[in-house]
Amino acid sequence: MGPAPAGAQVRGAAGEPEVMEPALEGTGKKGKKGSSKKRTVAGSPGEGLLQPVKLSRAELYKEPTNEELNRLRETESLFHSSLLRLQVEELLKEVRLSEKKKERIDAFLREVNQRIMRIPSTPETEEILQDKDGLNQRYFRKRALYLAHLAHHLAQDPLFGSVHFSYTNGCHLKPSLLLRPHGKDERLVTVRLHPCPPPDFFRPCRLLPSKNNVRSAWYRGQSPPGNGSPEPPTPHYNTWVLQDTALESHMQLLSTVLGSALGLKDGVALLKIWLRQRELDKGLGGFSGFLVSMLVAFLVSTRKIHTTMSGYQVLRSVLQFLATTDLTVNGISLCLSSDPSLPALADFHQAFPVVFLDSSGRLNLCADVTASTYHQVQHEARLSMVLLDSKADDGFQLLLMTPKPMIRAFDHVLHLHPLSRLQAACHRLKLWPELQDHGGDYVSAALGPLTTLLEQGLGSRLHLLAHSRPPVSEWDISQDPPKHRDSGTLTLGLLLRPEGLTSVLELGPEADQPEAADFRQFWGSRSELRRFQDGAIREAVVWEAASMAQKRLIPHQVVTHLLALHADIPDTCVHYMGGLLDVLMQGLKETSSTGEEALAAAVRCYDDLSRLLWGLEGLPLTVSAVQGAHPVLRYTEVFPPAPIQPAYSFFEHLREQASLLPRPDKPCPAYVEPMTVICHLEGSGQWPQDAEAIRRVRAAFQLRLAELLTQQHGLRCRATATHTDVLKDGFVFRICVAYQREPQILKEMRSPEGMISLRDTPASLCLERATRQLPLLTSALHGLQQQHPAFSGVARLAKRWVRAQLLGEGFTDESLDLVAAALFLHPEPFTPPSSPEVGFLRFLFLVSTFDWKNNPLIVNLNNELTVEEQVEIRSGFLATRLQLPVMVVYTPQDRKSSVWTQDGPSPQILQRLVVLAAEALPVLEKQLMDPRGPGDIRTVFRPPLDMYDVLIRLSPRHIPRHRQAVDSPAASFCRGLLSEPGSLSLMPVLGYDPPQLYLAQLREAFGHLALFFYDQHGGEVIGVLWKPASFQPQPFKASNTKGRMVVSQGEELVLVPNVEAILEDFAILGEGLVQAVEARSERWTV
Amino acid sequence: TDEGTHERRVEGAPVNRPVHADLYSHTAIPVKFSGKQQASHYLYVREHRVREGTKSSWPQKRTLFVLNVPPYCTEECLSRLLSPCGPVRSVELQEKPDLAESPKEPQSKFFQPKPIPGFQVAYVVFQKPGGVSAALALKGPLLVSTESHPVKSGVHKWISDYRDSVLDPEALRAEVDTFMEAYDKKVAEEEAKAQEEEGVPDEEGWVKVTRRGRRPVLPRTEAASLRVLERERRKRARKELLNFYAWQHRETKMEHLAQLRKKFEEDKQRIELMRAQRKFRPY
Repeated sequence: MGPAPAGAQVRGAAGEPEVMEPALEGTGKKGKKGSSKKRTVAGSPGEGLLQPVKLSRAELYKEPTNEELNRLRETESLFHSSLLRLQVEELLKEVRLSEKKKERIDAFLREVNQRIMRIPSTPETEEILQDKDGLNQRYFRKRALYLAHLAHHLAQDPLFGSVHFSYTNGCHLKPSLLLRPHGKDERLVTVRLHPCPPPDFFRPCRLLPSKNNVRSAWYRGQSPPGNGSPEPPTPHYNTWVLQDTALESHMQLLSTVLGSALGLKDGVALLKIWLRQRELDKGLGGFSGFLVSMLVAFLVSTRKIHTTMSGYQVLRSVLQFLATTDLTVNGISLCLSSDPSLPALADFHQAFPVVFLDSSGRLNLCADVTASTYHQVQHEARLSMVLLDSKADDGFQLLLMTPKPMIRAFDHVLHLHPLSRLQAACHRLKLWPELQDHGGDYVSAALGPLTTLLEQGLGSRLHLLAHSRPPVSEWDISQDPPKHRDSGTLTLGLLLRPEGLTSVLELGPEADQPEAADFRQFWGSRSELRRFQDGAIREAVVWEAASMAQKRLIPHQVVTHLLALHADIPDTCVHYMGGLLDVLMQGLKETSSTGEEALAAAVRCYDDLSRLLWGLEGLPLTVSAVQGAHPVLRYTEVFPPAPIQPAYSFFEHLREQASLLPRPDKPCPAYVEPMTVICHLEGSGQWPQDAEAIRRVRAAFQLRLAELLTQQHGLRCRATATHTDVLKDGFVFRICVAYQREPQILKEMRSPEGMISLRDTPASLCLERATRQLPLLTSALHGLQQQHPAFSGVARLAKRWVRAQLLGEGFTDESLDLVAAALFLHPEPFTPPSSPEVGFLRFLFLVSTFDWKNNPLIVNLNNELTVEEQVEIRSGFLATRLQLPVMVVYTPQDRKSSVWTQDGPSPQILQRLVVLAAEALPVLEKQLMDPRGPGDIRTVFRPPLDMYDVLIRLSPRHIPRHRQAVDSPAASFCRGLLSEPGSLSLMPVLGYDPPQLYLAQLREAFGHLALFFYDQHGGEVIGVLWKPASFQPQPFKASNTKGRMVVSQGEELVLVPNVEAILEDFAILGEGLVQAVEARSERWTV
Repeated sequence: TDEGTHERRVEGAPVNRPVHADLYSHTAIPVKFSGKQQASHYLYVREHRVREGTKSSWPQKRTLFVLNVPPYCTEECLSRLLSPCGPVRSVELQEKPDLAESPKEPQSKFFQPKPIPGFQVAYVVFQKPGGVSAALALKGPLLVSTESHPVKSGVHKWISDYRDSVLDPEALRAEVDTFMEAYDKKVAEEEAKAQEEEGVPDEEGWVKVTRRGRRPVLPRTEAASLRVLERERRKRARKELLNFYAWQHRETKMEHLAQLRKKFEEDKQRIELMRAQRKFRPY
């Protein structure tokens, strides 16, 4: 083997765009990226903000030049839109190698070539390779020796900064040599040396997929089985040999096809980015950049792609091809020859799951690609095509710029660890021929059968199963190569089908059918004979799962059962990452459910109540609508209410109102929040047309409702001027009577000329929000929950997290629910989450990466908005950006004002949330990707407290929701509840939450001086942050005196906050609740 | 400066010693919740005076204007604290200074929920002018809550607030009935008056046309007039010819081009922004 092949390789490497990648990796670059993001987000409000474009009339209407017309025409024909075109151009600029770097790389390659030529005592090919070297890995071992020889010499050369070994595409029989230049260029380029045999050295017919080239006698060290069974074919082994011989011709093919056409090159670059973002291109059996380049060459040869196409069109055509064809059934071939001696495609289908032959017709380029990987590629291509066809505004961003790491893309993830366990699995699954073929690589050998096994077992619960590919390791030439077991962990990702998750039953064939035996064999001891309602007696597997949360985890049971049964992998080696965050949504006494059942029970009770309201007799006006307006009624309340049963002795009684009162000498009673229900009454001439009078009439209706509900249905009610509280089956509802025209009457203004016009007023907006928009939102999200059962979990985890970070007060319930809804309605580039965890990860990702400044979050509830309407909404947003809140969330019912974010968050709070989400996401993802277990899953839910100036510690005795805390206390106080149901006739204490009452007082009295942060779910501490601006000395003015005192500063008398007195006020206002007030910083001293 | 003008000194004063100066004619009176507290707030008080010609419902000379009343200090409390200076006729707490006395209409506890107090201002009216000058000479510190007159705060206050929030529905009913009776009466009177004026010309001979007449007219609202204008516009638009003349063609094309240009400029701006944010680094 002379230097020629190596030289050829060097040439190849120069043409291979792979060289570009190291230039982009680099940790230094990543750091820069992170900091730049922070900088832009933290900038002043005007900076980094899109302004409405203002072009002068002359500029807009000047005569177009030819060039301009051409460009516009080209944009229309080659790209979706000018924006997409610009984006693609920018992206390509970013990944393209600059001329300067190219020169430096070329110079380095020339140097490398010379050094290799000069290596002394390099033997010639004929001296090394002999006949029959294709057999029993002889060729591979000689190849490795040859490489070691090169490595030994090159390592002494000062030209190289590092000389490492690696495996070619992860194939452990084929090492390659990685050379990096010395000095500052070390990160610039990596040259890979692949030794190749002379092109005609091996006889191709010996390497067909049906041939054996690794003899059992040699491989197992024993004589072949005596019964004379034929040697098993070694298709993968043969392919690896063939790959080396064909390398040069592949390179030539690619450079002829791609060399001349710029659009094709761009397309390939885009495709490589697309693959990389989806983690599809790396490792053994990955869908590599080389494969996709060959696919482009194939599509050019079949005229599906023309050389004049733009990069975007190439990308689109390839995705279209991937989405609509199935290479596992109908393979494709670059070979044009009709030589009868060539093997048929069918032969390849027999040996490989995916078939794509090269131009020789003998080599399957997709030999190492597993069916799962290919299905994943297909799945991604389909998703991308839908996205491209939807003409979404941010299609480019979602398609090419959004990473899809496994943990964020799949509903459940499981790690098989340690990997050595797979060796036993191979034996159990009788995979000896596969091991022989793969040269003992038990991970690759077991991968296919294992995924097939799980796919079959998960059946209708599974949408897609994906596996990680063993990473391609790299090691110093003085070290031993890594073993198979060192390649870390095998990670499987499950994309679940929500509709399949509702069933606990695996229905098998009837007992007397022949398939019954297979079914029993497959499920082992879990298979039982059962008689069904239709009289059939069938084999069946029934999983234990009562609640929604448990049903979501049936895949866990399936996987551990099947792996133990068929592959001898005990459940200690299966690390299943699903349902880990469930603990954060579970009430104290429930460990088996995440609250969906409790929420459904409350909703059922509400349905009953609304029926009673509809049927109520004796109301002067009929009920025209009953609508829920509370988070419980849209399944997004973090801790669902339980029917309550107060112990009367715990309370004081208010006899005449039949109500219970809290007692000062007892701990605070359990928190009961009434669920708001809006009850619209029909419009009628009897309604007065004066706002004050309407309020009185409504009050009269509230009283009447209470009377009638008590008389006709025996419900305990309590009416006030604005609502009627109703106790039903242990749940408390707050019915608010509404009159459709009231907001309009509040809006009416009479001009001096007597013209009546409608103007929004704070009161009218508030009423409209409460009686019109909130019920609409509640019913839309209720509907969403019916479509996506994971919505409840995601929304609640998200809210829980925001509140746990003490930011809950900054965001309305509705705004966070809408962000969670966006994850389901606009999941691109993902699919709607089917598990709360993955939804929560995407919530963190969305919050931390969304450009809130320049984009509205459009939540297209019920898909009511068309693409055109969305475009219109966006341009309206840009035009009025400065008048809108910092966080803008639009819905079909709210296209202009973003009602749910009107009163917050403030820019600082939103910024804080963005930063916290950006910090929490990698921490949580790392925990979930750690095969040794996630550790303490509550980590990201614990708020950092070091930033607060003052901490107010609260006494758990008066925190009614103490037990909901992230770190649930081992013991808490009795809250006056009976565990057994009894007769219930007194109205329980409603909405009494001392920490909230305390906070309201604090904010009212000191809101101008400080911000207060608290977790309503059992927080024991209130964080106080002084507002720096309010600590600036102020001149003496009546409006400035609040909480301040006069001090002399130099010559002047100024007002400064009276901090010492205020700190004491904190304790006074919260007497009984406050345990301690800790001032932690000296920042406030003026 | 500091030394020259200040008159009183309080024990336990903070490091930045407050100046109890008659600052802009205000006097500082320290006030504490109870004897247990170390630091105090300061009431800034002065005699209530208004410029010539300004109307104020507070009696001159007898009214004390108090700034920075702490949230736990109620009207009764302030009255008690200032009564040593002379008999107090009324105390009124307000969120901000307001010259007009708040309407003395009885506030409905059903329809106006009690607001949460913050720091407030107070107008204290004494029986005699002597009360004001005595108050200005108060040394303090005033104690809001004492053993003889404890003021509820924290848990005790919230519980009593909760108790107060549970109201008697019968009282509510009675109040609503009274209000509606008065309202109905008022409406009936207005109706009757309108009926009387119907069709009767005023002194210049104009007749007011109302909804109630024999030939009712549209109510005069903005929405209605907009509707009429829109209808007119559409009627006119229907008569116009589109893309009929060569110049119209040319203009439509130009308009399309201008749209594209505008879009292109917008896109360029977005790209510029994304580039600045390094949004084009794929990984």
